[in-house]
Formats: sequence, structure tokens, C-alpha cells
Amino acid sequence: MNCAVCSNPMITLELDQVETDYCLTCRGIWLDKGELEQLLGDTLQAQQVLQSFQIAQDCKESPRRCPICGKKMEKVLAGPESKTTLLDRCKKGHGLWFDSGELESVLSLGRFDSEGKLPSYLKKMYTRK
Amino acid sequence: MGAIAVLLLIVLIGLILFLLAIIGIYNALVQLRNQADNAWSQIDVQLKRRHDLIPNLVETAKGYMKHERETFEKITEARSQAMGAKNVADAAKAENALTGALSKFMLVVENYPDLKANQNFLALQETLTSTENKIAFARQAYNDQVLLYNNKTQMFPSNIIAGMFGFRKRDSFEIGEAAQRETPKVSF
Amino acid sequence: MWQQIHINKRNSILLLLSMGLVLAALGYIIAAAIGGSPEAGWLGILIASAIWLIMTLVSFTSGDQILLASSRAAPVTPEVHPQLFNIVEEMKIAAGLPKMPKIYIINDPAPNAFATGRNPQNASVAVTAGLLTRLNRDELQGVIAHEVSHIVHRDILFVTLAGVLLGSVVLISQVFLRGMVYSSMSARRYSSRGSSRGGGGQALLMLLAVLLAILAPLFTQLLYFALSRRREYLADAGAARLTRYPEGLASALEKIAQQDIPMESANQVTAPMYIANPLRGKKYLNLYSTHPPIEQRIRILRNMSQGASLADYEQFYRSVTHKAGMIPQSALSKETVSIRPPSTEKTDPSSLNQIRAMGDLMRKVNGFKFLTCPCGVILKIPPNFPTGKAQCPHCGHVLSVS
Repeated sequence: MNCAVCSNPMITLELDQVETDYCLTCRGIWLDKGELEQLLGDTLQAQQVLQSFQIAQDCKESPRRCPICGKKMEKVLAGPESKTTLLDRCKKGHGLWFDSGELESVLSLGRFDSEGKLPSYLKKMYTRK
Repeated sequence: MGAIAVLLLIVLIGLILFLLAIIGIYNALVQLRNQADNAWSQIDVQLKRRHDLIPNLVETAKGYMKHERETFEKITEARSQAMGAKNVADAAKAENALTGALSKFMLVVENYPDLKANQNFLALQETLTSTENKIAFARQAYNDQVLLYNNKTQMFPSNIIAGMFGFRKRDSFEIGEAAQRETPKVSF
Repeated sequence: MWQQIHINKRNSILLLLSMGLVLAALGYIIAAAIGGSPEAGWLGILIASAIWLIMTLVSFTSGDQILLASSRAAPVTPEVHPQLFNIVEEMKIAAGLPKMPKIYIINDPAPNAFATGRNPQNASVAVTAGLLTRLNRDELQGVIAHEVSHIVHRDILFVTLAGVLLGSVVLISQVFLRGMVYSSMSARRYSSRGSSRGGGGQALLMLLAVLLAILAPLFTQLLYFALSRRREYLADAGAARLTRYPEGLASALEKIAQQDIPMESANQVTAPMYIANPLRGKKYLNLYSTHPPIEQRIRILRNMSQGASLADYEQFYRSVTHKAGMIPQSALSKETVSIRPPSTEKTDPSSLNQIRAMGDLMRKVNGFKFLTCPCGVILKIPPNFPTGKAQCPHCGHVLSVS
């Protein structure tokens, strides 16, 4: 599987029996469908968080391609305000892409319940002390 | 010339066919005997593999199983007896004791979840399980081969050839009974 | 125990002969119909034989390779799945195979397995990643024993030969029928005297040829499938005896039956080779199914609580299927094969762990490297990773890839 930004081969990281995919070159993070479900649980609330991402209209950023199906992904807004972060979501539902640094800003926006499994896991995995 | 020549020719052909049949039966007997030998050596190979495996297994498990000294002692003792056995009967007896000690150990292991989480131990446990299976299956395969071979040495007409060339009946390898029986010569 | 090999041989030769007869008849009638004379028919037999010969040569020299490649099976080393190798070796010893079969893993989540090769010296066993992650040790042993029984019974050779014959019949029929459609169209367009040439006799021959070209593949397939069903029972009987634990295979079959994802990498000709029909989900007539009903196979195995000999299997085969005996009397020696206790291993991984285990398995098959960082993160590095060093994003530790 290749990185959506720099096309280098991505590596898979496993911690506490959860896997995420990571690009060592540009530090992009890919969470595929199964991994997201594992981190969000099957709760309705978790689904709502993902559904609540609004598709960004007239966006200047060039589209990234899904590492799984290679199709262009859609830009989604990860926050309600104007200073929000843009994420990439596969239209076929294969997963969610975070550019380098995007994860931190999404987490700082507080959109996710900070006690939840997803943010705490990602924080533990990807933010070094 | 006709009649005698034809008769001679028939006798000659008959003789050749007879010889061919004897060669065929002889070769079949040799093949069956070799297969039985081969099956026997498989048992030997697996028993040796088990001896090599035990020190490593005991070393890994000891740290976790502080209260099972008796189990370990039994395993180590049975192993050294099996390796030092002077004759086949003693070896078979010791190997059976080792099988018993190891299967008890495998049951006890279930009470130590920490040990069962150790990757190194899990790999050793799988190798041990497989080696135990291979010993059992090798015995079974040896007995199958011996049955085929013995049938051949006892049935007409191959029993005549077998008697002429000294193909003797073999004993099968019965678990538990093996100690009392004279099993084929093999060096442990 | 292995006496059924000889019975198998006789049945196989009869079956192959009748398939060969169908092939020859097909060649004769088609050529006679096209050429308009019985002499041309002999040429047709010659051409059909030539096609068959070429296909046989190809399948003998590289048939297993073609099959393995078309099922996307990858050869693996013992490090990828030590237990699989152990179990294959156990069954190799139990069955007295002269050589370890080559082992392949198929990248497919549907649980299934097959064996192929010309003879016990050149045999291969392929299992899917889905099978390896779903079955426990005893169940996997049952499946491998079933495949090794196929090897010992020489079913793999039979399936290869019958597959080639079936393939030849299908090929010739298809070429002829398509040619007919094409030529009848062009004949109508370009020639007005096409039908006047041979007269009534040839028209009748033509009709016969078309009928045969339609029926021959169906008939050959029926022959092929009928015997392959019987072979499945025989391999189950062999597996029970080899493992001395019929419950292992029974419970494996049960798990396989629960899955009804059809395999992507299987087709009509290769379907009879698998332990369970890989094309489930599609509906077939009873005569047309490659495998006996899986519930019956399970029920026979589960009934065997007293012993695991061929005679025990035979007894319950009769009571479950209400059919006459399957194993010839000569193969039913008066032996007692006692059932062994189940293995102590009691790990039944949860479905989430199964998915991860399957992913790891396929990564190992595909040459990924697994590095464990001191902080506990496992880095899974693809084989095409360009640099020799990887920094753990969790703790910053730099690990050497090579």
C-alpha cells in the first residue's frame, strides 16, 4: 500500500492489538474502515462523528488518492468553524487520511470526545512526549 | 526338429516366467522390508528431536512454574534414562515414561496464563505437541507397514520366497507393551 | 489400508476411458459432418486426440503450477506458519508419503484447501489464509489429513487427467458451435448453394454433431463430478483414520460450511479439487454438485465414536446415506483404530483477532518484515520499503530494517 501524498510504501504499526498505517517519509496517517470501527466501537455515536464530517465545497487543495482503491478521495471538514482542518475521506468508504500535523489539529479541535478510544489511542501512538 | 524344439521353447519360456515371478516377489518383499525400516527410523528421528527439545522447554518454563519442581524432575529424569538406555526394551520403557511426564506437564501449563502468553514458550509448546504427534503417527505408520510386510511373508506363494531368503516376521510397536517385546534392532 | 488405491485405479481408468470415448465420438461426428464423409470422421478423431495429447503434456509438465498460479497460491517457508508445516509433516509421517508435499497459502478469506500434483513424490497442498486463521490445531490437522488422503489415493492424478479430458471436450464443442453460428451467418450472406452440397445425409450428420456438441460437455461433467463426490467420502474416511480423531475434520467442515463466501479464485474445472465446494452460493442440481452434502459428511464423522478405522467409516456411511457400501470389502481389514484424545490447545481467537491474524499471515506470505520496537509497537515493513532504517513514530527509536 502506497502513501496518498508521496507514493512511498507505507508501513503498518501495531500497538495494543490495533493497527494503523503510516508513511515514514511524509508522516501521513491512514485509518482504514476496519481500523476505524475497531477504535470507534460499533456505537451509534461513533458513526455520527464520522457522518458529521461535511464535504468541503470548492476546495483549493488538490485531491489525494485512496491508498486502497486508487480513486480520488473527497475533502471533508473536521471542524465546525472557519479555522477547521481538511481531511481526506475515500468515497467508497475505505478509510480516512490525515496529512502530517492534521491529526494534532483535529484532536486539538476537541471534536472527538477526548475520553474516547480513537483520540486517546491516536494521541498515545502518534504524539511523542 | 519341430516337436522337440517347440517343447524346449515352451519349457524355456516357462522357466523365464518362473524366474521373473520369483524376482518380482523378492523385490516386493525387499521393498516392504525397506519401507518398514524407513518407518522405524522415523520413530527414532522423532524421539531424538524430543530429547533435544526438552532442556530448552524446561529452561523457559521453570521461571514461571515455581511450584512444579516435581514435574520438571520427572521429565528430566525420564529423558536421561531414555538417552542412556542400553537396550531397546529399557529405551521403550523410558520413552513411555517421558511421554507420560510430558503430557502431564502440558496439562499443568494451562494453569499458568503468564507462561501461555510468552511467545517463545508458545513456539516451543507447538513444537513439542507436533513432536509428540509425530512419534504417535510414526508408530502407527510403522505398524501399518509391518502388517503389510508380515502378510506378504505369510501368504502363498510369497511365503516360500520369504523362507528361502530369510525374510522374518516382524513385531509391531504397541504402546505400553513395547517394553516387554523384542523390537527390531535400533541404536538410540 | 491402502487397498482402495487399486479400486480407485480401476474406476478411474473406466471413467477416463468413457470420457475418452465421448471425446473421440465428438471428434468423429463433427469432422464427418463438416467433411461430409465418414473418412473425414477418422481425421476428426486424430485431431481430437492431438488436442488431448497437447493438453495432457502441458498439464503433466506444468499443470500443478498453472493451477496454483491461477488460484493465486504463494509458496511459503516454515517461518510463515510453523504449525501448518508441523501438521503437514505429521500427516506425511502418518501416511508414509515419500516426500514432504510443497506448501502454498492462497490469499483468500474463504476457508478452503486443495491438493495437486502428479504423484506422491510431486505433490502440493494449498490452503487459504481464511482457513488458517479460523481453524484450531485439530481441525487443521483434519483438513490436511483429507488432502494427504487425496495424495495417497492418487486422486490428484485422476483429477488432473479427467480435468484435461473435460477441458478438451469443452474446447472442441465450443469451437464447433461458435464456428457453426459464424458460418451459417456467412453462408446465408455470401452463398446461396451452401446447403445443396451434401444433401439430406449431411444435414442429419450436422444435426447430430450440434446435438453432441451441446450434450457431450454436460455428460462428461456428470461423469467427472460423480466420481469426485465418491472420492471426497473416501478422503474423509482416510483422514479419520490418519488422525485417529474424526471430530477434528467434522468440526472443520462445520466451520467451512458456515462460510458462504464463494472463492474468487476457483472455477468449474478446479472446483472438485477443493475440500468443500468453493462455488457455493451459486445453485446447482444435485447430480451436478462436485461435493457430497457437507452435512452428511459431518454426520458420518460425528457418528464415529467407537473407532476411526475405514470399517467404522463405512458403517456410518451406510446408515447416514442409506446407500450401498462405498469402500470395497477387500480394503476393510479387521483392524481397530482407537480414537485419540483432542489436543490440549484451547485457543479460539475472536473474530477481530482473526482479521488481524489473517492480515499478518498474508503480510508474511508477501515478504513483509516484522520489527518489534522496545516501546512495544510492532512495525510491519513491506518488502519494497526503500530505506534500511525506520524510525518508530511512537518513541522515536530507530530500527534497522534489513
